[in-house]
Amino acid sequence: MPIHDLGYRHWKGEWTSHPYRWWVITRQGIQLLMKRRRFLVLMILSAIPFVVRGAMIYFATVVGASAPFLKINARFFEDFISQQMFFAFFIAIYAGAGLISNDLRANALQIYFSKPITRRDYVIGKLGVLVWFLSLPTLVPGLILFLLAVLFAPDTAFLREHYWVPVSVTAYSLVMVLTFALVILTLSSLTRSSRFAGINFAAVFFFSQILYGILSGILRSRRVAWVSLGNNIEQLGDTIFRIDPRYPSPVWISVVVVLVIIGGGAWVVHNRVQAVEVVR
Amino acid sequence: MSAVLEARNLSKWYGQVIAVNGVSFSVDAGVTGLLGPNGAGKSTLMKMIMGQLRPSQGEITVFGQRIWNNYPLFARMGFCPEQDSFYERMSGAEFVSSLLRLNGYSEEEVSRRTDAALERVRLTADRDKKIAAYSKGMRQRIKMAQTVAHDPEVIILDEPLAGMDPVGRHEAIQLVRDWGREGKCVVVSSHILHEIEAMTGNILLMHNGRVLAEGDVHQIRELIDKHPHNVHIRCSDPRRLAEALVGFSDVVGVRFHPEGNALTVESRQPDAFYDRLPGLLLSRGIDLDELTSPDDNLQAVFHYLVK
Amino acid sequence: MRNLVKPVKTIGLLTLDTLFWSKKTLFIAAVSLVIVGLAVLGRLILSFSWIRVPFTPEQVFGTLMATAVIHFLVTFVTLFYGTALISEELEGRTITYLFTRPVPKPAIMIGKYLALVWISSMLVIPTILVSYLVLYLGPDTTRLMRDVGTLGKDVGIVFLAMLVYGAFFSLLGAWLKHPILVGLIYAFGWEGIISYLPGFTRKLTVTHYVQSISPHADTASAIAMMIGERTPALESVITLVLMAAFFLASASLILREKEYVLEQ
Repeated sequence: MPIHDLGYRHWKGEWTSHPYRWWVITRQGIQLLMKRRRFLVLMILSAIPFVVRGAMIYFATVVGASAPFLKINARFFEDFISQQMFFAFFIAIYAGAGLISNDLRANALQIYFSKPITRRDYVIGKLGVLVWFLSLPTLVPGLILFLLAVLFAPDTAFLREHYWVPVSVTAYSLVMVLTFALVILTLSSLTRSSRFAGINFAAVFFFSQILYGILSGILRSRRVAWVSLGNNIEQLGDTIFRIDPRYPSPVWISVVVVLVIIGGGAWVVHNRVQAVEVVR
Repeated sequence: MSAVLEARNLSKWYGQVIAVNGVSFSVDAGVTGLLGPNGAGKSTLMKMIMGQLRPSQGEITVFGQRIWNNYPLFARMGFCPEQDSFYERMSGAEFVSSLLRLNGYSEEEVSRRTDAALERVRLTADRDKKIAAYSKGMRQRIKMAQTVAHDPEVIILDEPLAGMDPVGRHEAIQLVRDWGREGKCVVVSSHILHEIEAMTGNILLMHNGRVLAEGDVHQIRELIDKHPHNVHIRCSDPRRLAEALVGFSDVVGVRFHPEGNALTVESRQPDAFYDRLPGLLLSRGIDLDELTSPDDNLQAVFHYLVK
Repeated sequence: MRNLVKPVKTIGLLTLDTLFWSKKTLFIAAVSLVIVGLAVLGRLILSFSWIRVPFTPEQVFGTLMATAVIHFLVTFVTLFYGTALISEELEGRTITYLFTRPVPKPAIMIGKYLALVWISSMLVIPTILVSYLVLYLGPDTTRLMRDVGTLGKDVGIVFLAMLVYGAFFSLLGAWLKHPILVGLIYAFGWEGIISYLPGFTRKLTVTHYVQSISPHADTASAIAMMIGERTPALESVITLVLMAAFFLASASLILREKEYVLEQ
């Protein structure tokens, strides 16, 4: 009678990595943040404009109210996402400021990189957390609002006329989400203090706006709108939604600024994330 | 006369977790070892003694006075915290002198006391080096320097030997014993029995937030010795070794592990057992590969005592 | 009271040393330089005779003061330092060293606060002075001398604003575990929105009192003042000082009574 070994057996096959290791980091980050009551309150607050816009669609299409602000067109969706920049700003700080800085402070990178995780996995994993939470108040409700508008519409005219809007909603949301995510991740990777990263993010955002205010005043021209982070995002939003850009500065400059922020941010984060940091 | 430190029905809880549970004790001058495994509540208790945490219930007094928000008492107390945290940009001397200034000394006095404290922990040569560049052992020693620089009557040391090399450990143990001999009230925590034994015979044994036993460490030892002590031996000829061991009355059991050329011996007198083992091995020409005792850790001691 | 002076000074110097060499200070200095850079730009434009300049040095200086310095730099600097005073000691777990010395906890708070005011002044006031000189210096010094009073007023207002904001953010830092988000909502939300509302509510902002004594009629304060009267100058100054004292006293009280459990 053959006797089988029922004990522990070593894996004799080939060690292979699967391409979704970053998801472990993303999932863990999402779970950690979901446990924070204040963060959940912030997320719930960010859903209020969505409810209001949903009601507006209902009144405009089902009830037939015809006030100018109830016009459901491309600008309606663009305005919604632009408005959500307010919440995206706070969510980025809450969710993103400590993402890397806390790991740096706790010397946790050594632990991460003692596992079969590459630097790219780590960065994508952390970015995933931000993309997830920043998409929740922008991309997700934007698409749902479009779906509601289609479903509530009396005929298919709206869909025929605005079939491209979901693509625009996705593109504009991604511009905002990726820009915010990379800026806060970059700042988080440059310090061991989440507070420092958070305040710096606010400083970048507000100071660039103030810089625009002063420069446009001194130069008597709004063509310098591209110095403001928020203006660039809005400028791209207008273009993506086929609306006349709100600033006279060239759109290509905004494209370049946003690409530099995203690309440069990714490069900085990737280089800052090291298993061992020699500080002395 | 009342004791230097006195706790009455002292409890501390964090939400649902009880860290210290109805503890009462009194400590006088001399060295007292606070012994217990990780998570026993030692650090919480020490922080309450130092007025860093407010008791959830009960009371703790130092020199008969409540400690919470009683800042003048800190002139008579020194605390070496467990955490490895410093103003990293400062040098060792700057660190000690900055904290001494808070005691209200004049600049000359600060300078004199800084020199003396650094000398005492043997950091004079590295006094101007940044703390960030200190080794783990040096960091522990600079913490001890700031603890005693103002010559306190009560010294609370939370795991002071953690991270020290054997030489540093020996020196630190000597320092603690000296302070005890000088008549200071020293409370020192550790989860390693031998460390505490080397510093003092007087211990407070903590487990799960309670004081399990207090008094002379030898009494605790005896208590432990009443229970058979397991020793795991891996050697070239376990059966011949067993043959020699069973003749001794303290040996109450032998178990073989054929797969590893090893045996486990149960002895009621571990000290006597360890004394005779080298002779037995040598006289029979048996090679010793490994000697471990699963009972020789604090958890096993507590296991016995709780039973 | 005399017992407090020495520990306050020691804590102040200790904090100053930590703050001075921090990355924060470097970052704030960089932002201050950008503001000076804006003044340089304004001056260049004013100097080019071929540009028809629609504004004067005092207008540029007024805009810089109202928007970049008071609304941004002062808030930003005090938010940065104020929230860090206690939080950084807690995060670094160094607060134990201060709390186990024979020093009353309010002295620790006051010492740290004074360090904040000192270093903030060292960064912000030179920014104002250099910007002023850049914009006004020239062969004709009459304008420079004429507006020195305005400059003095600006420095005073900025100092007062730093006293109040510094105390408020110190309070947040001593009180809350994560003071940043609340600080940002207060600084750029509450202060930005409430000060433009009619009625009594705007009196619950620091901005209102600062605008009431500001010598510059920038757009923001003009809008604010259109919907409500200015508070008289003396009353504004007294209110600002009282606010600072109240916030600092509250911060000291919280530091004394709160139990700080350090993370392991």
